[in-house]
Amino acid sequence: MIRETRVMLEHAGDPAQKTLAGYRKHGGYQALAKALREMKPEEVTEEVLKSGLRGRGGAGFPTGRKWKFVPKTNKKKYIAVNADESEPGTCKDRQIMENDPHQLIEGTLLAAYAIGAETCYIYVRGEYPHSIRALEDALDEARGAGLVGRDIMGSGFSCDIWVHPGAGAYICGEETALLTSLEGNRGYPRLRPPFPAVEGLWKSPTVVNNVETLSCVTHILRRGASWFSSLGCEGSTGTRLFCISGHVRNPGVYELECGKFTLRELLMELGGGTPSGRPIKGVLPGGSSMPVLTAAELDVRFDLDSIAKAGSSLGSGAIMVFDDSVSAVDVALNISQFYSHESCGQCTPCREGSDWVRLMLDAVRRREAGTKDVALLLDVLDRIEGNTICALAEAFCWPVRSFVKKFGAEFEAHLKERASA
Amino acid sequence: MADFSPELLAKVKDLWKRYPERKAALLPAMHLIQKERGGWFSPETIRDTAELFEVPDIHVQGIVGFYDMFHDEPVGRHVVRLCKTLSCKLRGADELRAHIKRTFGVDHGETTKDGAFTFRCFECLGHCTTAPMMLVDEERHENLTAEKVDRVLGGLR
Amino acid sequence: MSGTVNVTVDGKQVAVPGGLNLIEAARYAGKSVPHYCYHPRLSVAGNCRICLVEIQGQGKLQIACNTRVTEGMSYFTDNERVRKAREGIMELLLINHPLDCPICDQAGECKLQEYAVEHGSGITRYAFEKVRKPKNVSWGDKVVFDSERCILCTRCVRFLDEVAGTPEVGLDMRGEKCTLVVKGDGKLTSPYQMNVIDLCPVGALTSRDFRFKSRVWFMHFTDTVCTSCARGCNVTVGSRGDRVLRMVPRANPDVNHNWMCDHGRLHYAFVNDETRLTVPRVAGKGAPYAAAIARAKAILEGARGQGILAVASPFMTNEELFAMKELLDRLGVEDRFFLKPMGEGDDLLVHPEKCPNARGAALLGFAEAAAEWPSKEYGALLHFAPHEGADLPEEALKRAKRRILFSLKEREADVCFPLTTWIEKDGTVVSAGDRLQRLTKGITFEPTLVTERTVLDRLHASLDASHRPPDTAAQALARLAAALPAFAGVTWTRIGPLGMKLEATGAPA
Repeated sequence: MIRETRVMLEHAGDPAQKTLAGYRKHGGYQALAKALREMKPEEVTEEVLKSGLRGRGGAGFPTGRKWKFVPKTNKKKYIAVNADESEPGTCKDRQIMENDPHQLIEGTLLAAYAIGAETCYIYVRGEYPHSIRALEDALDEARGAGLVGRDIMGSGFSCDIWVHPGAGAYICGEETALLTSLEGNRGYPRLRPPFPAVEGLWKSPTVVNNVETLSCVTHILRRGASWFSSLGCEGSTGTRLFCISGHVRNPGVYELECGKFTLRELLMELGGGTPSGRPIKGVLPGGSSMPVLTAAELDVRFDLDSIAKAGSSLGSGAIMVFDDSVSAVDVALNISQFYSHESCGQCTPCREGSDWVRLMLDAVRRREAGTKDVALLLDVLDRIEGNTICALAEAFCWPVRSFVKKFGAEFEAHLKERASA
Repeated sequence: MADFSPELLAKVKDLWKRYPERKAALLPAMHLIQKERGGWFSPETIRDTAELFEVPDIHVQGIVGFYDMFHDEPVGRHVVRLCKTLSCKLRGADELRAHIKRTFGVDHGETTKDGAFTFRCFECLGHCTTAPMMLVDEERHENLTAEKVDRVLGGLR
Repeated sequence: MSGTVNVTVDGKQVAVPGGLNLIEAARYAGKSVPHYCYHPRLSVAGNCRICLVEIQGQGKLQIACNTRVTEGMSYFTDNERVRKAREGIMELLLINHPLDCPICDQAGECKLQEYAVEHGSGITRYAFEKVRKPKNVSWGDKVVFDSERCILCTRCVRFLDEVAGTPEVGLDMRGEKCTLVVKGDGKLTSPYQMNVIDLCPVGALTSRDFRFKSRVWFMHFTDTVCTSCARGCNVTVGSRGDRVLRMVPRANPDVNHNWMCDHGRLHYAFVNDETRLTVPRVAGKGAPYAAAIARAKAILEGARGQGILAVASPFMTNEELFAMKELLDRLGVEDRFFLKPMGEGDDLLVHPEKCPNARGAALLGFAEAAAEWPSKEYGALLHFAPHEGADLPEEALKRAKRRILFSLKEREADVCFPLTTWIEKDGTVVSAGDRLQRLTKGITFEPTLVTERTVLDRLHASLDASHRPPDTAAQALARLAAALPAFAGVTWTRIGPLGMKLEATGAPA
């Protein structure tokens, strides 16, 4: 039987964990105290590097390496916490912010200490009023206890943390768009180079890390890199939060060690299979931006690298399941609607292409297209993918292409029904 | 300065202290402003906000047009946001939308005749494991059924 | 940034200055990379994506505008992969474009048209209704906006913010609904706003002044210099049927970059004024040039004992001023003045001297007229009336018994010769910073008109049979250059289309 390994969510069920006293009871802020008293900033980075921690926002970039990109200049530096959790299917960061916000605050302070930042912003999506309130309450308490602000714990290290609400735009979860938005603008992604670690907020070096990533940092510094890397498997160390949603009997957010079971085992044992008892038809294993896996592909080992080898990705840890009562065309269309609505409109291929793809899929759904239009759809995806400012284009090109290719027969059959009708 | 309440102005001034540039406080401040100005940004509110922040009015307008949570048209006393994205769709969001239309006479973007609420279908609201869900102003309602929707939305009238 | 960098463009090795982006560097290999949003004078936006190139060793195509050359870099601007991507971008740019070229002013000089031919597939695969957006939106009395034609390159947004210093255009909405909006009451206020029309690579921003006047392929274009102020912005004048239809800036990094002010751009109506003087007038009646010149000769000869007042115009070319100088030398005239119209200037281009050649007049020995005129009485006045600005005061005019005037409009005088405008003749002017620039003839307003230099030379020859006037402006300039140290070594060819600094005057740049 698959069992959860609860680290970040260990005390999530305890309402007291939201308070400073409750958090401290379980060892809270001891990692920070230790780092500030006994460790140099570089040593904090080294510990994180050693732990094998990879970003939990979707791209999976090694966190320690990201920190190391920050130039050692006298310029002001910033941490921007990406709490704009908007990838369809994803609701894990919310669990941390609402149930155990101090571990995020502690992790943020540790990251700030490591790179030399004195100001941090937690960019929380506007649709998360509960998370915003929980974080603000926790920050008030932490500030009152001298854990945030000037001269933290008498160490001489000063760092402010502010909650910054978004206002409803998926693109702001893209790290450079988040920065543009945070500066008070329309959330347009930026051209790279320069990368945020060199030129981020107000042209200063800025590290953008996901909520879950920074929460892991707290536990790494509390219990050590080797403890963390002993969890999970190579390439997917530690525990990860997974949101299982859609057609499963037990939808929920689970904290798991990767590499110990297959995707199918996960869906059947923890997910409990489909509520209807019908067979699973497809799974999006890492949010809607990732290629779909069919029922035949579910025996893949559940870790970053194995899922990547199977042609998809763990992405943001959102596993969406649908059974065979659902039309693949409908799912693909729903996904394309999302991305065409959320395209920021800055660059040509995504602005024009996301809408065209949606229209083509809608025409397929209404059976107003022919099979050659499906070929056209694939060709248009080729013209868009890889040619845009940010990854939002890939985020609809990959899943849509995977649906057309893997459920090609169904697409054709769906279109043929017109001929026979 | 534009005709905002002293409480709001005090909060905005507090926000300004958090950033090296005032402009950065626009999003948090605009949430407060929208609430104070009846839930939407009229051309006048856009001008007042621009004046307060010393930015061109089109900058504020561009932000209203970009972010889904800011409205450029009047709204009802409450704003109801029903999630329509995949996890909610798989759990019956489309049926709930149809149900709301039948029961309350409003579809996406419309306000009930009595002005009780404006209904909007929203892209993923991040409650996928408790789908389908909706936000009524700042309160969330999860694992929705038609009966639950009737109860919650009926209570807004 | 400095120094030279070796790069390979489509297999061709070239050495280029370090710090160049891949669009500029490709030019050194004779390659042009298509671009919409990129403009050398504006910040990089990188949004149109048409300039994608393949850099060896990099997986994804990269936009050339935001990539700088590095030593040993090799990139491809037109291999199969790049061509396919470009074709894709072209198709995506056009799916929501109205394709209303038949009624679009931009047609004929539109980058969408040009690149569609060069890089497009030639067919439409888009089968859905196009997105509808606002059309024929007035951005004030000068600029008209069509959002459906707009490709959202944001050149106009960036120009008004970064160059004009008036951020008055912004973006509204999101995704395919994105559109441009103007601040306040929706009317532009910048005195440089019409530059956005030139910057717009498509037909989204058009000039109310030029709208629907002519298809550009029927027009004649002349590279010359604006004469509305001493800046001397380099321009291209568009004309048709010997009438001026528009003026647009011509790039000159030492004078006006790629810009000009709206005032200068729109200041040409006097050229096309059909009530202009086109034949000389003698005592208020039309007369052939020969008769008018004979009368002028008689007046000047008769006035010799009583003194002659010469007042030149800072709208005259150096060559005209030199012809006048030679005549005055011959007549022994000492009182040589010119009137300088003054006004407001700004930090960008507009110069407070509202004429093109006050400096030239001074270098040619004319003195700027003081506010108070000498109380002397003269036998005759030889005067070129300025195109605009205050003319000679009545009291000064009254000091002379006889008047020989050159004027755009008929004036009360013993002899009145027609003036020609700057677009009707070749010549040179000395612009701000002692920069010598060429005017080029673009139209013949009326075939009967004789230009001022010829009139002056014929008048001179009538007084002195040995006067051998130069034929062309280039010859006149050579003669001037030989005579005046400030112009030493200057030739028509050396000045070139972008002008040159007059070093000998010792003025700061």
